[in-house]
Amino acid sequence: MDRKKILIVEDDSRLRDILKEFFQADEFDVLTASNGEDCIEIMQAEKLDGVLLDIILPKKDGYAVLKEVKADDRTKNVPIILLTNLGGLNDIEKALELGATTYLVKGDYQAQEIVRKVKEVLR
Amino acid sequence: MIQIQNDLDIKKQARSLGVSFWQAPSFLFIVLGLLIIFVMTAVFLASRESISLQQLVVAEFFVVVVILSIGNLLIEMLEKMIAANKSKSEFISIISHQLKTPLTGISWDVELFNSKYKEGLTKKQLEILDNIESSNIAISKMVNDLLDVARIDQNNFFTQKDEIDITEVIQKVVDKNAILSKNNRVKINFLVDDNMPKIIGDKKKTEVVLDNIVSNAVKYNRDGGEVLIRARKNGQEAVITVKDTGMGINEIDQDMIFNKFFRSENASSQDVSGTGLGLYIAKNIIEKSGGKIWFHSEEGKGTKFYFTLPLA
Repeated sequence: MDRKKILIVEDDSRLRDILKEFFQADEFDVLTASNGEDCIEIMQAEKLDGVLLDIILPKKDGYAVLKEVKADDRTKNVPIILLTNLGGLNDIEKALELGATTYLVKGDYQAQEIVRKVKEVLR
Repeated sequence: MIQIQNDLDIKKQARSLGVSFWQAPSFLFIVLGLLIIFVMTAVFLASRESISLQQLVVAEFFVVVVILSIGNLLIEMLEKMIAANKSKSEFISIISHQLKTPLTGISWDVELFNSKYKEGLTKKQLEILDNIESSNIAISKMVNDLLDVARIDQNNFFTQKDEIDITEVIQKVVDKNAILSKNNRVKINFLVDDNMPKIIGDKKKTEVVLDNIVSNAVKYNRDGGEVLIRARKNGQEAVITVKDTGMGINEIDQDMIFNKFFRSENASSQDVSGTGLGLYIAKNIIEKSGGKIWFHSEEGKGTKFYFTLPLA
């Protein structure tokens, strides 16, 4: 199987580094971003298999990013997995309405479980 | 982010609670009723000539004004109460959310450490790492409980519809309670029907429900006691039961066991820690998933919890 290339968008550097390490250990090519604007830029420039996107982010938040990339032909088909600690009903409904492929509540999962879930979604 | 509700929303909420005083026909009825009482008593009393009609008009007008202002005051109080309750829920939810990021960091760090950097550590070092992990699990559980309660109170609670292998969930919960049950000298057994179909529910949250019930069954058990978890198919649903050999729940407390922050007399008198949120959350999760939850308990003999979930 080809190596998958993903983008992890997370403003907490520690969480970002840990996730990166877990995904790399599982044969993923990993790019990272720490804010919404960088995320959009990278998505337009790179061919990605999927994006892990936080909601509370500097510059543009996850919802704004979703709106923008889903309206852009270059990026609208890239699966976006929301990975956040906001887990309320209205957060999840809003994200799915905006076109997120799925929604994971960070603190509910071990990092290894997240890798497994992402693999399932991107298969 | 979480938005602070404005006044308008609060008024809307107050109305939805049945105080649609100023817009609804009920207001008209009250005014009309008061007018009729006013006229009738005025006519009646005036006919007896004990008081002048003028005095009566003033007195009764005063009564009407008092009644209306009391009504208004009550509505204002209710609105304030709802607002206070809302900001309390929002406060809990913001705080819990801020706590979750560093807690997630600790949890993932420990996981990374365990999976890659454990080699060559002494027994003592590993023991300390285990302690960090179990403390972190305990805090995370408490934060998640508070967050769940805040979401339930704000009508913002979400449950997923996963296909669940119940044996897997039970096994996980048994593993989770291994240390606790060893310390309390309680044995946990489980039994799942052969060919048990998959269940529809929120996988993570069903795990929380079972864990809340099983950890209670272990904590409030007798020394050397037992816990039996069973899963069986009953028509179109799965029935999961957890039976313990503990002290039971006394009859007075039985009606309140699913209430928020409630801890039974037996529970709090014993030296057992708990927040009184576990069963409240469990009930909300199960009912949101389309199931039911109940129990039978006999003091001195034990308690048996039941919950159902739809089959796939």
